[in-house]
Amino acid sequence: MFKLLEGPQTLGRGKMFWSCFLVVLAGALAYPLFADSYDVGNFAYFLIWIFMALGLCLMWGYGGMLSFGQTLFFGIAGYGYGVLAINMGGGSATIAALVLSVVLAMIAAGILGYFMIWGGINGIFFGIVTLSATLVLAFFLGQTAGPEWHIGPARLNGFNGMKGMDPLTVGDFYIEGSALYYVMVALIVIVYLALRMLVNSGIGNVIVATRENPQRAEMLGYDVRKYQLLTFVIGSGLAGLSGALYTSWGQFITPSSIGLPAAAMPIVWVAFSGRSDLTATLVGSFLLLFGFQTITVYSQQAALVLMGALLLATVMLAPQGFVLGIGKLAADWWQGRRRRGDVVADAGRLQPEES
Amino acid sequence: MSAELFSLFYQFADVFAFLILSAAGLAIVFGMMGVINMAHGEFIMCGAYVTVGLVNLGVPLAIAQILAALTAGLIGVLVEFLVVRRFYKRPLDSLLATWGLSLIVTQSMLLIVGSAVRGIGTPEGSFAIGGYTFSTYRLVLFGCAVAVLAGLYIIFMKTRFGVIARATMQNAAMAKALGARTGRIYAISFGIGTGLAGLCGALYAPTMTLIPTMGATFVVESFVTVVIGGANVLLGTAPAAVFLAMIRMALNASYGQIIGQIGMLVAVILIIRVLPEGLSSVLVRRGR
Amino acid sequence: MSLVEVKGVSKRFGGLTAVSGVDLAVNAGEIHCLIGPNGAGKSTLFKLIVGLYPPTEGSILFGTVDITAERPYARVQRGMSIKMQAPSVFKELPVRQNIQTALQERLSGSERIAEEDRLLTLLNLAADSDKLAGVLSHGQQQWLEIGMALALKPQLLLLDEPTAGMSPEETFRTGELIRSFNAEGMTVLVVEHDMAFVRQVAQRVTVLHLGRIFARGTLDSILQDEKVAEIYLGKTHAH
Repeated sequence: MFKLLEGPQTLGRGKMFWSCFLVVLAGALAYPLFADSYDVGNFAYFLIWIFMALGLCLMWGYGGMLSFGQTLFFGIAGYGYGVLAINMGGGSATIAALVLSVVLAMIAAGILGYFMIWGGINGIFFGIVTLSATLVLAFFLGQTAGPEWHIGPARLNGFNGMKGMDPLTVGDFYIEGSALYYVMVALIVIVYLALRMLVNSGIGNVIVATRENPQRAEMLGYDVRKYQLLTFVIGSGLAGLSGALYTSWGQFITPSSIGLPAAAMPIVWVAFSGRSDLTATLVGSFLLLFGFQTITVYSQQAALVLMGALLLATVMLAPQGFVLGIGKLAADWWQGRRRRGDVVADAGRLQPEES
Repeated sequence: MSAELFSLFYQFADVFAFLILSAAGLAIVFGMMGVINMAHGEFIMCGAYVTVGLVNLGVPLAIAQILAALTAGLIGVLVEFLVVRRFYKRPLDSLLATWGLSLIVTQSMLLIVGSAVRGIGTPEGSFAIGGYTFSTYRLVLFGCAVAVLAGLYIIFMKTRFGVIARATMQNAAMAKALGARTGRIYAISFGIGTGLAGLCGALYAPTMTLIPTMGATFVVESFVTVVIGGANVLLGTAPAAVFLAMIRMALNASYGQIIGQIGMLVAVILIIRVLPEGLSSVLVRRGR
Repeated sequence: MSLVEVKGVSKRFGGLTAVSGVDLAVNAGEIHCLIGPNGAGKSTLFKLIVGLYPPTEGSILFGTVDITAERPYARVQRGMSIKMQAPSVFKELPVRQNIQTALQERLSGSERIAEEDRLLTLLNLAADSDKLAGVLSHGQQQWLEIGMALALKPQLLLLDEPTAGMSPEETFRTGELIRSFNAEGMTVLVVEHDMAFVRQVAQRVTVLHLGRIFARGTLDSILQDEKVAEIYLGKTHAH
């Protein structure tokens, strides 16, 4: 089963790659020992968004479905967590609220995905239907300022957003600060490795085959619609995970996390990073979030202008993504150096299936 | 009784005009080039700002509106030349490129202009039928929407440009081989599309608050109209707008604006399940 | 006993009738060739059998089951597979992964890898197994697609112009390959223009013309039919 961690669908294999992976992981685990708690909290904040980036990478890069609806499911699960945590009364119930809110986002994705995929919507229409749904949710939540908009004791509060829910809690222990950071790191490692295994599995073969040529995939006996729906539900569910974690992190959520320009952000991260590879998306999204946050301190508009410029520059100069392009160059350089040194050892790499 | 009927018509006309005016430009660009212009909302915003700016300088409203539409159209031609042109073979990338553009424009406007600009107020004038009062300007908007449809009909069905444009739409390579300058046709079509977006902004500028993000108010309506209308403006967008306006009108009246919008979205999602190729496919098939 | 039976099937596109009232039964275990001039409706008939188009009229049976309303994937799961006219492979995926995607439902683990290797060798693609399918030559893509169709081990194999773009030698090899699979019990329906190839493989031949069945029988009996010569040599009344 762990054989699936490597395969034709993911870049990065062999001892060198996994050594780097472990070094980065060790660095991430050691980080709170050196940094102050404010920085650790900030770091955890960047990590929140990685899930929705990885989800979009799966749908768009692997499945060929460009969803503009990541913040839709982010919002459903984010508000869902708030409503559930407030209604179920905090404490360990917040863990259940997290799980249920992600499930809620996946159910919503299942319904929307069913109508779009069974209706044969693809390409650019997939993008604009998901974006329309996203914007409608944002407009709707913006209209809920009045006291009549509440679910149990949870007030939706219009543009000001929902607040007052507990953060993730186990017993009496609030998962905040370093603890939250470690939870995030663990979740990212699990999600990243699980997605690698998924895309290199038989299901992953069908997902990429459907992206390449849906008719041929169907002619191999696969009901491609089911695979597309599965991809959409997983990818959107990851956006939901980001949303629920976000609400738990800051104990609030507002409609501006859903509408424009928030909806464009996952697209920028994944396009800039390189949608066709999970590792490139992971690394690139983190870099962009870090850069974005640094500039936002001075001017949020300037940071957003930069994101727009990056998106434009990516499609004009490097449609496959900048991080992926640089990563491939580095890998080629490394391979070239190694090949000169040791030709025989490299031959095994050409047939990953037989290892 | 007739007053109530007119009131119904008035509500329908209001929504219909909004849908047609916000979607026509997007539909032209999609129909001709297969490109969805994600900066559509920003061209609407451009039209609104130019209108208000000119009116504040003392230019009469109607003239300011025409100049605003022309400005948006010219900027559109420029954008086509600099950006969109490269992506006709990669429609998804054109979506991303124009979205990038949209972000740059909206956020730069927020940086430069800020969020508050002095509005100009809706032109006065109303009339009463029975016990109801109606705004004249809303009916002017409906008239403009009908005029836009008529204008597009004339441009695309009765002029030489329209013949060549439709030929290019059917088969660009063939049209090119026969001597049509497809590059120029695309640029003009894109300009017409963004000019219509500018017109939409110009027409609605007096009725709403001017903020750089105002384009977002229009994009949902324009997207869903194009999604179910398909590639044909006259046979797709117009009937789609009639259909959506009826749903919207019914829901608005009973449950308010936001439920109207949600209901419209739900209707669209149901329709794409039943008619994957949009309403126009049905109409075109019937027409044969 | 017929494996697939097309009963009174018609397909109209707008005003164009591509296939009109066709009855065709392919017997289990035979190699059946479908020939006819361009535009005769051969590829349309294939797409109707495999479910890419719904028929305007008529029904299609697989064994004794009516599959007229079934989606393509369900028909493939029943035991048919197709190589389409234009090469249709997964261009951005490696050759081996193309085959693997076709095989993985049937075999797994070392068995699957052994079968991949066997097919790749059989199709002369072993040396290219790590290349992306899109960089292969037209002929090699045809081979790859035939390989994917074979990998499903179908009861009924539909081949739409399998030898287009192949050299006479390659065409002959393809013919032998088809015969060897037929000898193992696979029923084959082929659309082909190359008469040498048809002679090599066909046990029965059906001629389609203007969307209708024009003649059927052995190749020799058909070639002696003057009307068939007429439609091929263009002596028939103009349309």
